[in-house]
Amino acid sequence: MKVSEIMTSRIEYISGDSSVFEAIEKMIEKRIRSLVVKFRGENESHGVITARDIVCKVIARKKNLREVKVADIASRPLVSIEQEAELSEVAGLMEESGVGRVFVREGDGIVGVVALLDIMAGTLIMRARGKNVV
Amino acid sequence: MWFNRFFSRGKSEKRVLDKIRSHIELLCRACEIFRSALENEDHDSMRRISNLEREADSIKREIISCIYEGAFLPYLRPNLCKFIETVDDVFDLLEDTSFHAMNLYLPHGIRDESNRVALLNQRMCEMLLITFEAMVAGEDLREKILAIRIYEKKIDDMKFGILCDLKELSIDSYWHGKSLSDFVSGLTTISDIIEDAGDYLQIIHLSMH
Repeated sequence: MKVSEIMTSRIEYISGDSSVFEAIEKMIEKRIRSLVVKFRGENESHGVITARDIVCKVIARKKNLREVKVADIASRPLVSIEQEAELSEVAGLMEESGVGRVFVREGDGIVGVVALLDIMAGTLIMRARGKNVV
Repeated sequence: MWFNRFFSRGKSEKRVLDKIRSHIELLCRACEIFRSALENEDHDSMRRISNLEREADSIKREIISCIYEGAFLPYLRPNLCKFIETVDDVFDLLEDTSFHAMNLYLPHGIRDESNRVALLNQRMCEMLLITFEAMVAGEDLREKILAIRIYEKKIDDMKFGILCDLKELSIDSYWHGKSLSDFVSGLTTISDIIEDAGDYLQIIHLSMH
């Protein structure tokens, strides 16, 4: 199964200068768990901020949500893979880079994101189709 | 065939099963044509959905007649009929949605998401066929039904995003808004009905044990 079949194509962006509070607002409003971070003055480079980053790096340490900038806690570079990649390749990349979320690219653009749950769902679908997977 | 161990080995059961198979295969074909027509904005192909719906209607009537002429044990007949009616509901909704699609201009973001939903609907139909074949063969349906539910959940998540995008659009007239709303509603409800059809297969499968 190609990663493009199971990915989530809704990608939301946030500026690195925004506060963590704004990131939470956006995640809750859009019902998503990660945002792609755009850093000021850097055209090519993106990062990512996840719900886990916010909980572990800000809320658990009792930092002020309005004072901490997204850029301070975002991870970079973005771990990404081509949209033609197979699910097993994404799983390998997650294991190798220790992330639970891989972004999907088409050329230079980001067109989706695959999370751990998507990999599990895709694996079950392949099994149901009779494909020889785990 | 596993089915034959439970029912009379008559030809009528086999005829019903063959026709149900054709009915679902036709649905797979209709969903594939819909997906391709939506992607390519091909109105001629989109018009073919109506013909397929009529063809499906005729297959449905034949199946129901066969069943009430005596195929299968009476306690199984209601759920078999409900399954067939549910598959037919998908055809009806697909036809309505294809009409709306022909009269709409979809903005870029919504078009991409709609194409993806149409592809997932097609995959769900294929999974419904796989589930039906597994039921006839007497295999376990658990993984297949789960796969159908995964697809449905995925489409449900995408629906929320599309609705958010819809709210941002400027609407020219009541009919423009209604068409757009009906199109999205139809496109994202197809998966709910396929899921219901899958549930009926599971009920039929369970009632045979």
